[in-house]
Amino acid sequence: MTTTACSRRKFVGSMGAAAGAWLARPAMFLARSAPAARVAVGACREYGPQVLETLRTMFEQIGGLQGLVRGKTVAVKLNLTGDATDRLGYLPAGLTHWVHPEVVGATVQLLGEAGARRIRLLESPMGTAEPLEEFMLQANWEPRDFASAAPRVEFENTNYLGYGRKYARFWVPGGGLRFKGYDLNHSYEDCDVFVSLAKLKEHVTAGVTLSMKNCFGITPCTIYGDDSPVDEPSLTPRGGRGPFHEMNRLPPKSAPPVVSVNAPKDPGYSVPRVVADLVAARPIHLAIIDGIHSMAGGEGPWCDHVRHVRPGLLVAGTNCVAADAVCVALMGFDPMADRGTPPFETCDSTLRLAEQLGVGTRDLSRIEVAGVPIAKARFNFRQA
Amino acid sequence: MSTIRNWLPMKWPCGPLEMARRTKSGSMNSEGKQAIEACGQASALELLEGTPVNCLVVPWAEGRPEDSAQRQALQPLLEAGRRLGISFVGKVGSTADAASAAASARAAGFAAVMMEDPSGQSFDLPVIPQFSRDKVAWEKTSTIFSSSGNVWPGMNLETMHGDTAVAGPTGIPWVNSNAWFGLLAAELAPGKTLWLDFDPPATSTSARPAGYALAVADSRAYGSRWIISLDDKLLAALSKGNPQAKQVWKNICAMHAFFERHREWEAFQSLGALAVVSDFRGENAYLSGEVLNLLNRRGVQFRVIERARTLPALTPGLKAILWLDKQAPTADQHSQLLDFTQQGGLLIAPDYWGPAGVAPTKKDPSLAYTMYNVGKGQIEVAEAGFQDPYQVAVDTHLLLSRRNDLVRLYNPETANCHCSGDFTSPQKGKRLVQVLNYGSDPASSVTVWLNARAASARLWGPEAKDARTLQGLAASPGTEFNLPPLSVYCALEFEGINL
Repeated sequence: MTTTACSRRKFVGSMGAAAGAWLARPAMFLARSAPAARVAVGACREYGPQVLETLRTMFEQIGGLQGLVRGKTVAVKLNLTGDATDRLGYLPAGLTHWVHPEVVGATVQLLGEAGARRIRLLESPMGTAEPLEEFMLQANWEPRDFASAAPRVEFENTNYLGYGRKYARFWVPGGGLRFKGYDLNHSYEDCDVFVSLAKLKEHVTAGVTLSMKNCFGITPCTIYGDDSPVDEPSLTPRGGRGPFHEMNRLPPKSAPPVVSVNAPKDPGYSVPRVVADLVAARPIHLAIIDGIHSMAGGEGPWCDHVRHVRPGLLVAGTNCVAADAVCVALMGFDPMADRGTPPFETCDSTLRLAEQLGVGTRDLSRIEVAGVPIAKARFNFRQA
Repeated sequence: MSTIRNWLPMKWPCGPLEMARRTKSGSMNSEGKQAIEACGQASALELLEGTPVNCLVVPWAEGRPEDSAQRQALQPLLEAGRRLGISFVGKVGSTADAASAAASARAAGFAAVMMEDPSGQSFDLPVIPQFSRDKVAWEKTSTIFSSSGNVWPGMNLETMHGDTAVAGPTGIPWVNSNAWFGLLAAELAPGKTLWLDFDPPATSTSARPAGYALAVADSRAYGSRWIISLDDKLLAALSKGNPQAKQVWKNICAMHAFFERHREWEAFQSLGALAVVSDFRGENAYLSGEVLNLLNRRGVQFRVIERARTLPALTPGLKAILWLDKQAPTADQHSQLLDFTQQGGLLIAPDYWGPAGVAPTKKDPSLAYTMYNVGKGQIEVAEAGFQDPYQVAVDTHLLLSRRNDLVRLYNPETANCHCSGDFTSPQKGKRLVQVLNYGSDPASSVTVWLNARAASARLWGPEAKDARTLQGLAASPGTEFNLPPLSVYCALEFEGINL
């Protein structure tokens, strides 16, 4: 993997411009020729020391991390959805709906070994502006373990303004599907490389939640939350992102506008579009999906009919749509499926929407899979 | 007859006075009439046989014409009660002649009277002073004292839509509890017993059968006692021998009996890495009380320290002092607080009292505090002072850091817990984590996390006389204990660990 010297603002801007040009092309052509990249699938039956070695091998299989992160500031969006004390039965969150702390630690260590200058762990914890480290402690995670896994590891709660002076604005190339742009915590702009570290799960509203849906949580609830004010962002977040689901209220006037106020208010229409917008506006450079242990039937313990599953898999790729497409196939679904077909029975496919935005392809015939073949690694979530 | 300290009180609505009071207030209905009539019968005392309830609080005098009729009407009840070993406390209203009422109560065989503001008067029998909760004259409390204005423990009725709970601003269900007041009373009136006076809510949705047992547990787990008060419907049903009503009564008694078997726990001291300091009086009463309430609701374990007492020293178990009052510490206290921070402690205060010349820094953008590094510790000063008790509780927890949590619940929903320990033993004594469920349904899949290594715990509950052993699951750090479905209350008892 090679890189050229480029400032992060230029990089993000050029990604947007490229995607904008992409969108000027016919839709069918977009689907067939959206960017593809190799995806690595690793078998890892349990959490433990083997996670590090499995990920190391997988990163090599997708071209190595050095070229991507050496000397760079790397932002890693974790998937820590819901309250820190929520559990499916008695199981710790890392075994069901959160990315496991050993996957986080191993990723940080490998990013550090690859020469990352600074690693920033990010998440927007549910309804709070408290420091991310405190949120982790509440789940009985030890943030010091991550801080000692590589030089200069930082944490930030991105559910509000945080350490920034102002929100960073990300316009969606081509004008957006739901909003024309999004205002985010500065951390998503003040980085050279953006990593989505997600969990392999189904999702009640969006069908699946993988590296792309993980980015739903980069949006601050001070702007996109249930109680956001009319004119300006609130100082602290309260509640969840109901407006993205129901479109029952708009973000403050200070934020980029909605594409159409008359668009359907169905969460199955809205949420996938917001996600596709976000990954087009704030591109993911590295997608990592933890499927060693997970849950089936929904994204968190609050969903009905959910159960603990053990797919024993890790997935990584430099294109988030391709990586998610492989994940969908590994879960026993067809990544080319759309509304009405599992896992998208009641929603549009985020994969299709992101593909149409030129983010990447979901066509498995165009995606090279390294490591364990899909057929060998498949774990059918609906039959688990 | 039991000694005064061993009284387990119950409100016993009976006689012409109770009838008149309710009629006057417009709260009389057929069930109330039925209940009052039933309670006036000596035979009604059979309800108490074989139960731990040994003290009845009955209306005695209100300075009304019905006072003398009340005296006559209660004679058979009092005589029957004495034969059963029941102690009677006469409730004397504020409009009655206290001296005369006390004298007549003594003559009638009452063991004590309960009245508001008995100060400056002497009586020939024990007096239980009763205070409004926000105006307790702590220096006037006696062996037993009572407070009114308490809450019915459980889900906040004002935030319920039918059977559905609405979350508070934190997303945590809004739960009412008198826990904090029990902890405050233990500090401001040590060695004395607080009787909490509160009645079941008028709406039946919250007075679920288990709610009565919760009312007992929420009081006793925090060192106080609830003056049992049954709603009229239940009292009337009990008088008719209704089996469901009898089961509710049985559960109330079982909860009390459980705590009676574990009286040694009453001497245990609250544990917590945080000491909350205030005089808890006057202009400081509201903020300090609410902060205690909200810290408790967050599951923060803390110790209450009256401002006039010697401040605690830094120990492995105590990491932070929250000084709530605007009043600055005395010179001695100032010196103690500086020692505390110099040695590594955290002081959270409304103003800076540290040494001059220390440059302020900022810890986290979400916290409106200025930090001063003093010695090995810090002073965190609230930039706008302490205004909103909710925010004070949240900020204090974060400034202290969850790293210092002693205990934590997973899947807590409406459950909360209290951590205490026996410090009478020179060795590592017993440690106790009491878990209460304030919800209307049993709490399932609750895990207790303990910030210590413990192979196992004794799991106690009111449903069984013996404890069962619960194996701990090693966590990193600490140990986890998975609880069976929790109806109202359970306790985990540990030995040989430090918290």
